[in-house]
Amino acid sequence: MEPIIKVENLDLYYDKFQALKKISLEIPQNKVTALIGPSGCGKSTFLRCLNRMNDLIEGMRMDGTILFHGEHSESSAYDVIGLRKKVGMVFQRPNPFPMSIFDNVAFGPRQQGEKNKQVLKEIMEKSLKQAALWDEVSDRLSESATKLSGGQQQRLCIARAIAMEPEVILMDEPTSALDPLATQRIEDLIEELKKNYTIIIVTHSMQQAARISDKTAFFLMGEVIEYGNTADIFANPNDKRTEDYITGRFG
Amino acid sequence: MGSKSLSRVDRITYFLLTIVGLISASFIVFISIFIALKGVLPFLTDNLGLGSVSLFKFLTQTVWLNGPTFVSTAYGAGFLIVNTLYIAFLSLLISFPIGVLTALFIAKIAPKKIAGILRTIIELLSAIPSIVYGLVGVGFFLPIIYSLARSFGYSSSGGSGTLATVFVLALMSIPTITSISEVSIRSVDQSIEHASLALGATFTQTRFKITLLAAKSGIFSGAILAIGRSLGEATAVSLVAGNARSGPTFGLFDITSTITSTMLTGLKETQGIDYDIRFSLGIVLMVVILLTNMILNYIKKKVGNVHA
Amino acid sequence: MRNKTRLSDILLNGFVYLATSLSVLALGLIFFYVFTEGKDLLSLDLIRGNYHSRNYVATLPQSSNDSFNLQPTEQTFAIERFGLILEQSENLAGDSVIRVVYVAEDSPFSQLVLQETGNEVVSLKEGMIMMRIAYENHPTSLTSRGAAAMAADLNDPDRVVREVMFAQVGGGIRGSIITTVYLIGLTLMMALPLGVLSAIFFNEFAPRNMITKTMRTFTETLTGVPSIIFGLLGITVFVPLTIRITPASGSNLIAGAMTLAVILLPTIIRTTEEALKVVPADHRFASLALGANKTQTVFKVVLPQAIPGILTATFLGIGRIIGESAALIFVLGAAIKDSVNIYQPSTSLAVHIWAMMTDEPANVALSSTIAIIILMIVLVMNLSIKGVVSLMIKKGRA
Repeated sequence: MEPIIKVENLDLYYDKFQALKKISLEIPQNKVTALIGPSGCGKSTFLRCLNRMNDLIEGMRMDGTILFHGEHSESSAYDVIGLRKKVGMVFQRPNPFPMSIFDNVAFGPRQQGEKNKQVLKEIMEKSLKQAALWDEVSDRLSESATKLSGGQQQRLCIARAIAMEPEVILMDEPTSALDPLATQRIEDLIEELKKNYTIIIVTHSMQQAARISDKTAFFLMGEVIEYGNTADIFANPNDKRTEDYITGRFG
Repeated sequence: MGSKSLSRVDRITYFLLTIVGLISASFIVFISIFIALKGVLPFLTDNLGLGSVSLFKFLTQTVWLNGPTFVSTAYGAGFLIVNTLYIAFLSLLISFPIGVLTALFIAKIAPKKIAGILRTIIELLSAIPSIVYGLVGVGFFLPIIYSLARSFGYSSSGGSGTLATVFVLALMSIPTITSISEVSIRSVDQSIEHASLALGATFTQTRFKITLLAAKSGIFSGAILAIGRSLGEATAVSLVAGNARSGPTFGLFDITSTITSTMLTGLKETQGIDYDIRFSLGIVLMVVILLTNMILNYIKKKVGNVHA
Repeated sequence: MRNKTRLSDILLNGFVYLATSLSVLALGLIFFYVFTEGKDLLSLDLIRGNYHSRNYVATLPQSSNDSFNLQPTEQTFAIERFGLILEQSENLAGDSVIRVVYVAEDSPFSQLVLQETGNEVVSLKEGMIMMRIAYENHPTSLTSRGAAAMAADLNDPDRVVREVMFAQVGGGIRGSIITTVYLIGLTLMMALPLGVLSAIFFNEFAPRNMITKTMRTFTETLTGVPSIIFGLLGITVFVPLTIRITPASGSNLIAGAMTLAVILLPTIIRTTEEALKVVPADHRFASLALGANKTQTVFKVVLPQAIPGILTATFLGIGRIIGESAALIFVLGAAIKDSVNIYQPSTSLAVHIWAMMTDEPANVALSSTIAIIILMIVLVMNLSIKGVVSLMIKKGRA
């Protein structure tokens, strides 16, 4: 199958510092791809290239190509807003908007001009169900989202991303701020979501990568050291550095 | 900081500083007690033969000393309360959007250098004494309002009145609202702004729907502070209000008067009801400000608590 | 749908830019207005001069036939006989007047005798207006006939001066400047010690309990009190107090300074406390560990580090004193004075503006000139605060 995202020779600089060096990766559709590596290795930076959130950083420069459905999504002519609608994102810390649960999920569609209350309601219910949150919040949709627990907040953020009906969901260490039980639920959810979405997840936890991902890319100092099927990478790493990392010898 | 660890010298210092602290804390008590004591005199005494002022009439009547003779019933402050609140509300209607949007520009849109310059401008505006605002009101706004009224076929009293007062107060309130809103807009968690952008919202949508929403508590505080200042501002208002002796005034081109502007008139007396009644107005002013603050803070809590 | 979004974005952005331009315009408007209206009057004479004009009628006791050596220019007229130079000029209202440009040191005109009292000596000074000179057996020299004619008349050796009428021009603000300076000095003398010591009490010594909390709330509540209410405090507490303990008999400058001190108090306490808070706790421990007691620690180690904060409070305070009007109108009165006495009513610069603006007709030009002076001082105070802050940051880094 044709990869949904194809990255070729991607270099990225923050002023003079080179954060990514000649990255080439192909992300398969409807699979979970995990990006692992020590802090500061460039895995989050890479993730943020895929929906152009790095554009917000001053002094950022990028060379190379990122093809989304075969189109140059990195070019300045590409419709960034449209890209972000198709490539959703979940952040490290749960960051619900200071508004009701309903309004949080409806925010994206509303900004696109959707005003029909019935349509919004359907989108909201479907998204919350997909994010496995519906049963817990269906009776208090008008309550503030900030009153939910951390795990619920993060699932709400996933629902918020799903409401835009994206094709890809980027997750930047989505469980790093959560307790083990909430983490477990998010991982179950990811397993469920990959039927409909392509998921790219940055994680600090190798166990998590091993548990949930189909493909794994190991980043080190801005380079991809190794990329392949998760099972292969964890069982037989080709590179000594990958082996050192996953066996916990550094990082 | 238990007193056990203190030496003798320290104990003396502690004692003396406590007295200083008590003095500082006592002024508000002095203000409340003395103004209350003086302010109730017109209602309790017979005012050197003029008869006592009825509190109910004082609070509800619509004429201030606008009759042929000086009698105790000539003091009606009801319209002053209405005028004061009306003018403060209208001025907020102008200053609030301008102040908040300026704050948004400074905090989120302007390049660093321009933001710095604008911050300085706002600081300067808030440092300008109110009498200067009053002067500009008289010299600049009155002639404009006068010809504006004339073009509507309305003859105003040289431009003095509600609109001029509203403009002067709005101009004075903008820096207050801007500086407080700016701090709270700047401290909005960037992560939720990023979340909005990642959902495909534009920068503008994000600023208006997310940033302003998240900063609403601080923005509201700025508005409360501004309205408090508008209610209490005296000299600038007295120059442009026109000092009406009856009311309430709702027409924009009609002369008006507020609690404070009335307190500044008739200063020649040093005793008797004309002197004491100013303290009664002082009580009214404080009560109006306190009540407005309480109501607005209640609304702020209500609105702020829903989803924050 | 996208087009609609774009349109509303453009509209909303338009509002933001409009609002910001209006805010900037406001400052521009204030400065522009005040400067265009007031710049013409701005001069040293204005700052040094009296506000009230005064007319003098005097006699010339010593007649002189000395010939003074004078150097008049083309527009001025010399009177060699008396050592005077006159000039044709206009006053602020645009009427033509005869102005004195020069009075020789030993001129008889510097030794005139007031007719009113008969023994008080006044001297004609440069800048004064010559109104009328009457002679024995000769027609009077009048303003309407011009400076040239008056000079010619005076130079005529046959004429004996009987009576001189001249005037000191008003419109100066010396009195209000002196009052303002007095107010700044007296207020800071009271407010700074009280405020700084209160801040030390609250930050270093006060126990953490309900009483302290209440005291703190009480001082902070002062911030929200409108200045006109402080005026009421002034006339009920400070004016009677000063009448009792000083020679004052009514509104007076000391009571005004006391009132201003209360107004400044919360600002000084807050600013000083903020400066005390950033002094690292380690410094206190280090000092205590060296055997210093708490009093020494606070006053020798902690307080010196808070001086930039106190300085900031002082500048803020000066700005507030200069701008305050409502409270002072009550406590210090609104009668403009040329000779200032701390036991008497007078006006600060801000109240001077208020007094002139409530007068009929309002004197916008002179008010604007005073406003220029006020704005300049406020500007300097603001820049000084910025200077102190940046100095503090630099010091912190070094």
